[in-house]
Amino acid sequence: MNKYDIVIGLEVHVQLKTDSKIFCSCSTQFEAPPNTNICPVCCGYPGVLPVFNQKALDLGVRVGLALNCQMNEKIYFERKNYFYPDLPKNYQISQYKMPLGENGKLQLPGGKKIGIKRVHLEEDAGKLIHSINHSLVDLNRTGIPLLEIVSEPDIESAQEAFDYLTQLKLILQYIGASECEMEKGLLRCDANISLKPKQAKELGVKVELKNMNSFRGVRDALSYEAKRQEKALEENERIVQETRLWDEAEQISVSMRSKEEAHDYRYFPEPDLLDFKVSKDCIESQKDFVGELPLKKRKRFLESYGLSEKEVDIIISNLSIADFFEESCKEFNEPKKIANWILGPFLEQVNSLADKLNEVKITAPNFAKIVKLFCEGKLNNLTAKRVLSLALTTNRDIDEIIEKEGLVQVSSEDELGCFAKEVIKENPKPVGQYKEGKEQAIMFLVGQMMKKTKGKANPKIARQILEKILKESG
Amino acid sequence: MIDRKTVEHVALLARIQIGEDQKDYLGTQLSKILEYIDKLKKLDVKKVEPMRGLHVDQNVFRKDQPCQCLDTDRILNNAPSKKENYFKVPKVIE
Amino acid sequence: MKDLTFSTGCAIAQNIKDGKVSPDEAHSFFKERIKKLDPQLKSFVEIYPDPLKEEGASALAGAPIAIKDNICIKGKRISCASKILSSHISVYDATVIGRLKRAGLQIIGTTNMDEFAFGSSTENSCYGTTKNPWDFSRVPGGSSGGSAAAVAARLVPFALGSDTGGSIRQPASFCGVVGFKPTYGRVSRYGLVAFGSSLDQIGPITTNFSDCAHLLNIICGHDSKDSTSTPKDVVDFTQALKDEAKNVKIGIPKEYFAQGLNQEVKKALDSVIEVFKDKGAKITEISLPHTEYAVATYYIVASSEASSNLQRFDGIRYGLRAAGTNLKDVYMNTRGEGFGDEAKRRIFLGTYSLSSGYYEAYYVQALKVRRLIKEDFDKAFNKVDVILTPTSPTPAFKIGEKATDPLSMYLSDVYTISANLAGVPAVSFPCGFSKDNLPIGAQLIGKEFDESTLIRLGYSFQNVTDFHKKIPAL
Repeated sequence: MNKYDIVIGLEVHVQLKTDSKIFCSCSTQFEAPPNTNICPVCCGYPGVLPVFNQKALDLGVRVGLALNCQMNEKIYFERKNYFYPDLPKNYQISQYKMPLGENGKLQLPGGKKIGIKRVHLEEDAGKLIHSINHSLVDLNRTGIPLLEIVSEPDIESAQEAFDYLTQLKLILQYIGASECEMEKGLLRCDANISLKPKQAKELGVKVELKNMNSFRGVRDALSYEAKRQEKALEENERIVQETRLWDEAEQISVSMRSKEEAHDYRYFPEPDLLDFKVSKDCIESQKDFVGELPLKKRKRFLESYGLSEKEVDIIISNLSIADFFEESCKEFNEPKKIANWILGPFLEQVNSLADKLNEVKITAPNFAKIVKLFCEGKLNNLTAKRVLSLALTTNRDIDEIIEKEGLVQVSSEDELGCFAKEVIKENPKPVGQYKEGKEQAIMFLVGQMMKKTKGKANPKIARQILEKILKESG
Repeated sequence: MIDRKTVEHVALLARIQIGEDQKDYLGTQLSKILEYIDKLKKLDVKKVEPMRGLHVDQNVFRKDQPCQCLDTDRILNNAPSKKENYFKVPKVIE
Repeated sequence: MKDLTFSTGCAIAQNIKDGKVSPDEAHSFFKERIKKLDPQLKSFVEIYPDPLKEEGASALAGAPIAIKDNICIKGKRISCASKILSSHISVYDATVIGRLKRAGLQIIGTTNMDEFAFGSSTENSCYGTTKNPWDFSRVPGGSSGGSAAAVAARLVPFALGSDTGGSIRQPASFCGVVGFKPTYGRVSRYGLVAFGSSLDQIGPITTNFSDCAHLLNIICGHDSKDSTSTPKDVVDFTQALKDEAKNVKIGIPKEYFAQGLNQEVKKALDSVIEVFKDKGAKITEISLPHTEYAVATYYIVASSEASSNLQRFDGIRYGLRAAGTNLKDVYMNTRGEGFGDEAKRRIFLGTYSLSSGYYEAYYVQALKVRRLIKEDFDKAFNKVDVILTPTSPTPAFKIGEKATDPLSMYLSDVYTISANLAGVPAVSFPCGFSKDNLPIGAQLIGKEFDESTLIRLGYSFQNVTDFHKKIPAL
């Protein structure tokens, strides 16, 4: 790809995290039985009228601020007219001439800034289920608030598009605007891509890519499309302005064939809704929710905790983990050790939970206490993990767990000496090996000690005692 | 002004079947109406703000409180064609 | 049984309150009258076997009322006089219906209209033409022709209509009754099947101003389900039922008395001016210079909004579904078969004026001229309190007379349209008869939210005249 510049723009739709729909009071609950979250308003019944959900505006403003957009003081909705069975009114209430925010930017971890052309509010359409002879319509999703986020064509590679999406998702999750789960359809992404010879001023013919179901899919589709277009240009073929669908299974893009009619959406101002002033108060109150964004947090973590980039990236990839980490450090100021325990045992155990982080109840102070006890040698690796697993979804008192489960570490030389003697007696072979100079044979004996003490022995002291007895016995 | 082709184009946009024998007639009627409406173009309104609606300067909101919809069955019962709890339509070709 | 033919709604309610008539007797009386007279008149679409009524208290409790068939009544058929909705059952009550029920009125049935309120003659109804009760060869006006004819023939003491460009006032004038269009935003539009969302208002059709004021008291008021509904407090309109016109400044717009005005109508209006002069009102000539653009402006604005509003009638979720081999054919056939000629014309006109390439020239241009028309009124109301005009250039025309010439039909709305464009209240009341014994109507247009002055002047006029007491010989 030396001769050409790749020009990519992304159009992202995210469902905003409201409890009710944007223009009616139906629930936004995910995976409800078909056509149960519906009412005359979202079904486009004769005579119904929309009333705007304030939370949708608040969340939209929050996103606009997080993406450094200029927020318009006054906004209004327009109707986008087209016939489709998932669109009950056969028009979508959207924004056109006066969107919520414009001219924003999003910074990638590498430092590059991608322009945000506009963010605007609209209502989601329903879902179609296709079978051989007919299609079925479920209107539960109809009317869930959507925010459309349109980037400038500033993205220069498929990987950059991936990074943009990753960063965008992180921001939206941080500010509590959307769950952004692409597999649930809470975030959808279409892409525009064109190639132009380096130094050329004019943009090439743009192709729209749809039907990508993951960030990886977006990256793969864009890589494929860039190569396809390059090949076409090299062979002096004309690139057609069209929409292509990404075929995940085949890993190719397929032309949708130009539709029989060009779209004419006949946008005009929605007469059923008045203008909305985006007040200073609204903006100020939403600023409070924006807080520290992922990139800033990343920088601060790198500077203040002495962690590696990889460790920081994982910790900040989820705001609640990042907060959990910081709170834990306040209790036990050993960031590296806290990080190790979060990235290791903690996440391992969380990942085996059905509902992941949502099930976690342990507080940061209690978590920090476990790590601290471990570092002080009062719990060993095994018992510490055991305590964690018992407190993870219950937040039971740590001392109480240790007490009740009998996990107090055995460190007394007397007690351990007895066990050591037994172990030496029962394992003449490894003892022999050790005496012959095979140092690692001691580990087997330590293991046997652990077994005998049901994991409660302090392995360090156990080893010292074993070594001492073996040395004494010559 | 509104020729047959325009009638057909608008018919498609509006999704209304118009009989072959009606197309010219409709075109003529619309042309006559538009000819009358063209008087608006005489007015110089360059400096006039379009009037989107009446008393537009209120912020009317709903609180984000979901309520249980009780009309599901009645709404589905009004459907001309349904299958289980879905509205049924001819196959939508993507 | 007591003869209630000449009783006003208020009088019937009073009789019920005093125990002289039971609600059932009141209902039976009008039901019998409908049974006897409506087969020729054809003003009703549906007569309920049992009236809809709830416990409720108001000055009109117990009085029967009829509803234009474009207002949703829960559990009842709503058709808008269109084939496309024919068997549709409303799943909810329009806000005004809830208010009537809570006020204890008896809803006895629904009245005929032009399909989706498109028309000025009630000829565009899938149920056939309603006759003018004064002359069966003439139209009752429209689109609320069924309501106006029914009230004029005293088949019901009063009815609700809807007015987008004169659809309450023009039929009221043709049938010799009082038809009131409140200020835009006074009455909730929730449950009124939308025609022109920025123009539509529901209003009462009555025989006299006292009933009118009482009905307005019931139906006006803020509704959180309609974003365009005004939060302004509603005054008690019955306080305006006073014979008091002294020093009221009445403007006579010269443009409304220019060419095209029938001489008999002009003469009737002259006598209205004399009545008000006698009462001490101050008469001033004024100018509404953009009057000649009102019809053109209206037909673009109303048809554009209508074209979008009516897209929901597609045969997917309710109403008629015509056969078709694919989705597009189902849409095209359903709408081709379901809509009548006038509905098609309006949808075409609106779709065309919103379509790419014509949007600025037609739609935006019309919105700009709409502002000029509104400003004409603002200026006029700096000088006068109310404006007096004819309601229609002529008395009722013959059935079929304008049916083949849509433009001449549109032009018959020339005096009523401006009030909708400006959003101001207006009322038509009977003020004379032609030599053919056809009623003639006068129109009073008021300032925004000043319905009271219109009621006061109308009441004053009816206090010294008896045009409103005449009823057609049936």
